[in-house]
Amino acid sequence: MHFFEFTEEQNMLRKAAREFAETEVAPRAAEWDERDECPLDVFKKLGELGANGVFVPEKYGGPGLGHVERAIFIEEISRHSAGLGMALMTHHLGVYPILRSGSEEQKEKYLPDLCSGERFAGLAITEPGGGSDFMGQKATGERRDGKWVLNGRKCFITNSHIADVTVATVKTGVDDKGRSKLSAFIVEKGAPGFAPGRKEHKLGLRASVTGDVVFNETTLDDKALLGPEGGGARLGMEGVSEVGRAGMSAICVGILRGCLEEAIKFANERILYGKPIAKIQAIQFEIAKIRTDYEAARLLTYYAAGLKDAGKPCATEVATAKYFATEASVRSAKSTMDLMGGYGIINEYPVGRFLRDALTSIPSGGTSHIMQVVMANGTLNDFHA
Amino acid sequence: MAYRVAVCVKPVPDPNYYGHVGIDPVKKTITRAGVPNIFNPADKNALEAALRLREPGSGYAAAISMSPPEGAEILREALAMGADEAYLLCDRAFAGADTLATSYALCQGLRKIESEKGLPFDFIFCGAESADGATAQVSSQLGEWFGYPQLWNVFSLEERGGVFMLKTKLENGCMEWEAKPPMVLGVARELNKPRFISAMGVVKSRKKPLVTWGRSDLPGADDGYLGLAGSPTKAGDIFTPDIRREGRRLSGSPDEIVAGMLSVIRASGAAAGV
Amino acid sequence: MSPKIWVHAEIFDGTVSEVSLELLTKARELAPVLGGAAIEATLLGSAIESEAARLAGYGASRVYAADASELEMYSPRPYALALSYLAALHKPDIYLFGATSTGSSLGPAVAARLKTGMAAHCVDLRINGDKKLAALVPSFGGRVIGEILCPGSSPQMASVKPGIFKASEAAAGRVTVERVPPEAWADANPKGSLKPLAIVKHPPRGMPIAEAQVIVCAGSGIGGEENWRLIERLAESLGGAAACTRPVLDEGWCEEGRMIGTSGRSVRPKLYIGFGVSGATHHVCGMNEAGVIINVNRDEATPIFEVSDISVEADVNAILPRLYEALRR
Repeated sequence: MHFFEFTEEQNMLRKAAREFAETEVAPRAAEWDERDECPLDVFKKLGELGANGVFVPEKYGGPGLGHVERAIFIEEISRHSAGLGMALMTHHLGVYPILRSGSEEQKEKYLPDLCSGERFAGLAITEPGGGSDFMGQKATGERRDGKWVLNGRKCFITNSHIADVTVATVKTGVDDKGRSKLSAFIVEKGAPGFAPGRKEHKLGLRASVTGDVVFNETTLDDKALLGPEGGGARLGMEGVSEVGRAGMSAICVGILRGCLEEAIKFANERILYGKPIAKIQAIQFEIAKIRTDYEAARLLTYYAAGLKDAGKPCATEVATAKYFATEASVRSAKSTMDLMGGYGIINEYPVGRFLRDALTSIPSGGTSHIMQVVMANGTLNDFHA
Repeated sequence: MAYRVAVCVKPVPDPNYYGHVGIDPVKKTITRAGVPNIFNPADKNALEAALRLREPGSGYAAAISMSPPEGAEILREALAMGADEAYLLCDRAFAGADTLATSYALCQGLRKIESEKGLPFDFIFCGAESADGATAQVSSQLGEWFGYPQLWNVFSLEERGGVFMLKTKLENGCMEWEAKPPMVLGVARELNKPRFISAMGVVKSRKKPLVTWGRSDLPGADDGYLGLAGSPTKAGDIFTPDIRREGRRLSGSPDEIVAGMLSVIRASGAAAGV
Repeated sequence: MSPKIWVHAEIFDGTVSEVSLELLTKARELAPVLGGAAIEATLLGSAIESEAARLAGYGASRVYAADASELEMYSPRPYALALSYLAALHKPDIYLFGATSTGSSLGPAVAARLKTGMAAHCVDLRINGDKKLAALVPSFGGRVIGEILCPGSSPQMASVKPGIFKASEAAAGRVTVERVPPEAWADANPKGSLKPLAIVKHPPRGMPIAEAQVIVCAGSGIGGEENWRLIERLAESLGGAAACTRPVLDEGWCEEGRMIGTSGRSVRPKLYIGFGVSGATHHVCGMNEAGVIINVNRDEATPIFEVSDISVEADVNAILPRLYEALRR
């Protein structure tokens, strides 16, 4: 048994990602939040950095690394802009199913541009009826004249308005037992009858765009079908449960590190009764709690990512990480605000944004209640008295 | 044109941690426990310049550092940024070097690379200065060991058909130059914006060589010019300067403070007509 | 033979740089400690003979002058060849350079050719008990000052930033000007090629900080660009110069020549007024010789207050506009 540590290469990657985040992300993060816009120029540069296709093999234009390295990128970006971290992590959600289930032709067609930063991706599953009722999707794909015709509306879709390539699941029929058969399609920006709809005005994660995408008689040929017909449920589920939630955890690890660093900076600089408040025990308790939240979230997140890279089942571990990291980041952002007193609510300090971003992370990929259900199911399965 | 370029790089203590630097009052040595090293910032500009010169053609870029073993870390960064090979000159015999001995050892290392490859370097880049010592002397002295033209504080470098147009900083302006390789250049931070290390670069660097050379790998070198023995400068006494002043506080309303400041300004006799 | 202190007299724009005169002045202070050392200067350029007399006015008793059209513009290789040739021939004990944009490169090149030691960017020069030059050099942003000695080789070389010493004229003395022909040091085996083409001058906007008796300095706590502009106007109304620290320079509001500190200029005005300056050691190192130091900072624990004569714990926005208005009245 050896203790958990990153490889030298992973440390170098983190250093590179951190340098990028400090130079290109930190100075503008507040502005993106305020203006509610996704910085496509920086997103493109993340492609040059290798973040956009981090787990894509070299032959498709990626560096061929894994999900631990993905979490490193997302954490470092989210340390300064969880919103941009959200855009990046969602892009991966579009890339992942193409890599996993795409034909050789689809991989060669889409992956290089999605890795380089030339194009951005998204994943459209959730509908107005809810996201966790996965099989209850109402958008349809009908077979007509040898083509697929898609109709319906997807909502709460991150990257809705910026994605050049959207992977979407729709109902393409029912099986013998009357259950929905879902299939996945690759839909390119500008496909006839396909357009982003309403744009949401979010509480947090505002450097990512979230909104509707609408299919109105969108006609696609067979080449757009991703994976086998009826394979959309498995593909969508795996993406959300192993990649999406892992991404949310990594975002929150970044937020937690932000809280920790801001809290320490403030506690050392703020002088009260002639000495820094860092010397006051009540403040030290807060710092200890934030540290605990950060360390625990980090361990859960990278452990789950490590399982994914090792090819082991990890849905329960990812759900655990997501549940803990999102709730912990809300809690710690609140602690940091408490520690800062009046300064905590001033928007010149980033902590208010951290709290909004943390709260916004909870429903993405399934609320804390859903995470607990997933964890419980896994636990009841894994443990025997 | 496929240029062959060498870049001298160095690890320096992170300036964000200078608050941790002190003096051991007994041993009279500098204590810097807990101060991490970083890639000397100007050396990254030097590497960027080298990579741009190399890239259009095939060319070759080697990074070299004379430093303790931890210098390998920044050489690995140099490889991940895009250098083709990296060389660490690391031996107790090189330790304690001042700029003259450092530039000599670098010259010997670079000469060895040249002889192994059978081709001389067209350009040798250094950062104009290091964040710690900031003596800014190594590039100029390296130029003399090679007997090549050298320029320091280069902030513009353009190729026009094999001829290079350069600009160096002056106090209130700049100087323009025309040069043909070989040359040794100390580059200013303004020359370029160094690229970020990419994940692809990190992966590619796995296969690139990082060679460590000790004293015995430089058989032609003269011990009289290496390390502490080869350093004409010696460190004498060190101290932390006491520059504290009284710090009389002016308080009151802003207008009262301003009135107080005005009387200090007048009393100083520095500002005419106030 | 009596010892010799050499100063390289740097020419800029046809005249000797101020820093060279500062070094000659300092050399006059060191010479008696060395038992009456001779003070001599080297001078390279074209049509610069009249400048030799100026050097005499600051204490040089002998000037080695190479006056040639090919030396009109500074070029490191021929200049280093010339100076190392002269030094090898006449063997000075100490050889001082201005740590200017050209001297910072020329000095070490000469030192390398002479295989001797050079202390860079010194903040003071002394003669120690062994009659050797002890050059004081700041490191770690001025947090630590170390002596650099060059006990075993000669000349003992050092470069000093402009503004560290104060130039003052000497009693008029006799000067011998020795002309040196350029053929003496020609490069026998030239490699590569390097030609100086032109000197482009960017005259600074406003008064240069090196010349100012009053300096108003903006630090990281200055706020926005409008406050920097106010600093400029305040400096002007005090007949002084506006200066800045590294974070302000990085904002791009002013030119590099306005930065005070180890990587910028060292200044010694009669009066320094800082707004939002935090007191990082590499800045303090460049301003602690000022006559009177006033600082305004809203943080009562800022290190800059430790090196201030007058500390004002207040918001920059509360003081800066009022002070400016008060001075306009």
